[in-house]
Parts: sequence; structure tokens; C-alpha cells
Amino acid sequence: MIYTIASSKLGIVGDPYIPAAGINVEALLSGGFIVKQSTPKPKKPAKTSTEPNEEN
Amino acid sequence: MASSTYLSNPVLTINSVDLTDMCTAATLTYLVEALEDTAFGTNSRSYTAGLVNNEVTLTMYASFAATETYATLFNLVGAKTNVTLTPASGAESATNPKFILTGCYLESLPVINASLGTLSTYDIVFQGGALTLDVTAP
Repeated sequence: MIYTIASSKLGIVGDPYIPAAGINVEALLSGGFIVKQSTPKPKKPAKTSTEPNEEN
Repeated sequence: MASSTYLSNPVLTINSVDLTDMCTAATLTYLVEALEDTAFGTNSRSYTAGLVNNEVTLTMYASFAATETYATLFNLVGAKTNVTLTPASGAESATNPKFILTGCYLESLPVINASLGTLSTYDIVFQGGALTLDVTAP
């Protein structure tokens, strides 16, 4: 999971936040210090429809 | 006159959140429990090391503003976290070591501590955890 800093008390707002071992991430989320960063879904490849070859 | 002194002005983080500007007193105690191992044939008590039982006590201004003390501490009650204390601001070094208490437990938070004519404060205690030192600048 990727997190983004939402409070200047934690670092630079907007920077990614990588929790160190032992950090209570749920408490940071509940307190509004970080937000979950939505990971962009990989683009679907363009459809290349192939017409079935009709054999007459 | 003392040859080397230190004016109290530590840097405090709780669960990575910098709450230095909300703290007025901090005591970090590195404690190794004493287990008595005195036996017959000796004239004085003797002790050996038991479990490490560290503790941080803090006095903090209460604030219900966004991302302040209440927002930081309320969700940590009954949970483990990290607390760091550095004697002074500036880079960590051998003469300014950062004390890191990892996995310490917050048992309670006095969510309302009101007294007429005074600023509301929280007196809190983090118990247990492993203490390490960071003397390397980031």
C-alpha cells in the first residue's frame, strides 16, 4: 500500500510516506495524517479485433 | 560550575508525528529490572539484570485541532507505536543522539483534563518497547 503525507507534522504534504517498522499506520490514517494513495490501474491494451476468416 | 550542561529543548515524535511544539515535559527512562540474587554467605544484597522495562512520560498541551495531540494520541490508546526523543534540534550525532523507543504501549489518555484558568494538558505514559540510539545524520 502506498501512502501520501497529509499533515505538515509528519513531513512535506504530498510526499509519499513510507512507514518505519513499528509505526501504527491505522492511527495515522484515522487521525488524518496520511491518506491512501490510489494506484492507477494499468491501461487495458487496445482491443485488436480480428475478424474471423470466413472460408467460403 | 558544571563543565558541560544542556538546556532542555528536545525534539519529540510520536508515531512519526512531530509534536515538539505541544510538549512541555518529557522523561525517557531506560530501566533494566533488578532481580535479587543474594545468597547465604554474603553480607550485602546483590542484584542481576532482569527484563528491560522502558518508559516515556510526557506532558502535552491538549488540542482537538486537526492533526494535533488528540488526533495523534486517541487512536494509539491500547496500541503500540514508536516514540523518539532527541536532546536538541539538528542532525543526530554522538553528542545529539536520537533515542528511539520502538513498540511502546499507551494505556490511557485523559481526553478531558480541565481546570479553571489553565491550559488543558495531557499527562501520558508510554510503557515498554525496545530502546535504540541513532547517532547518524539522515
